[in-house]
Amino acid sequence: MNLDTELEVWRQDWQSESAVFTGLRQKVKRQSRWMRIVLVADILITIAIGGSVIWSAFRSPGADRFVLAGATWIFLVTAWSFAIRNNRGHWSPSASDTLSFLDISIRRCQRRLAAVPFAAALFLSEVVFCLIWNYHHSPEWHSSLAWLLFGSVAFLFFGFLFWYRDKKRAELGCLLNISRDLGETTQD
Amino acid sequence: MATDAAAANIVNLSASDRGELDRLFDRILTVHGAALRRLAAAYTRTESDRDDLLQEIAIAIWKALPGFRGDCSERTFVFRIAQNRSIAFLARAHLRRRASAEQIDVQDPSPSVETGMVQEQRAAGLKKAVQRLPLPYRQVVVLLLEGLDYSEIAEVLGISAANVGARLTRARQMLRAEMEKAG
Repeated sequence: MNLDTELEVWRQDWQSESAVFTGLRQKVKRQSRWMRIVLVADILITIAIGGSVIWSAFRSPGADRFVLAGATWIFLVTAWSFAIRNNRGHWSPSASDTLSFLDISIRRCQRRLAAVPFAAALFLSEVVFCLIWNYHHSPEWHSSLAWLLFGSVAFLFFGFLFWYRDKKRAELGCLLNISRDLGETTQD
Repeated sequence: MATDAAAANIVNLSASDRGELDRLFDRILTVHGAALRRLAAAYTRTESDRDDLLQEIAIAIWKALPGFRGDCSERTFVFRIAQNRSIAFLARAHLRRRASAEQIDVQDPSPSVETGMVQEQRAAGLKKAVQRLPLPYRQVVVLLLEGLDYSEIAEVLGISAANVGARLTRARQMLRAEMEKAG
């Protein structure tokens, strides 16, 4: 068979399958709404937490309340500045060519892995601060219940963090393999 | 605290811009929908994976639309996004397959006895053969079968036109061999 005739037959066969879309538009709209919610949720949570500690400090003034408000804001600013710095320049434009997209996907994956030890350190600092603060300022927390609560939250948090780290490591491995395959073929 | 610039772009749009975006998006789905579905099928093993990937592609197009300035053709823009989402999906699908430790068979899209037309059978055979190609060759073949020319394929994949030609020559040989093997 002539090469171009062969290609023409393949194209006709390939394109013979038509598509019926049911609900795709609605799904995209739902996802779009969800994106907007997630985008404002981070900001709202920051305002709620940061605002409530400041409100509490001014409502019942005392050194302990100001320490709590100050420490909370230090944690919030640390988290935000790390997130902004870690994401800077790594937003992946979906519409760039495949090799560029792959490259940026790999770097994003590496940045997310770098965020894991940071998240662990920040969480530990917060827990230690909370335990010390509660020990000195909230007698009702001098019970095994407090330790149980903090222990459970820490267990869940670190469980999630290890799962996330393993998932991202495996994803990075896959992306590097794909990149190597495509790179080798590009050099042929 | 994952600031998504694409999401922010859409949030910042005015209502009229969003209406325009809606219309453009609907038109893209109408014009390129069938091609996107076929492309998604070339990178997935089951119908549910194909639908998931198709949805991811549609969402990525929706997110990227506010940044589309017409510096490439609409078709190149759409296929770039589709190829990129497919790569990302493949990386994650590989993890899922490994986690479930089970081999999922390629969905046999063979037509039923009643609709057993020759072209449908050939199309099903072609689809299977394309799915079996190694990724670098599958990429170029899918785009070629969708009617893109060498320069458009090069633009989508970020490789030279000469490299597209070299890959296609090899890909067509492999595709022919796969189809002969399947009989």
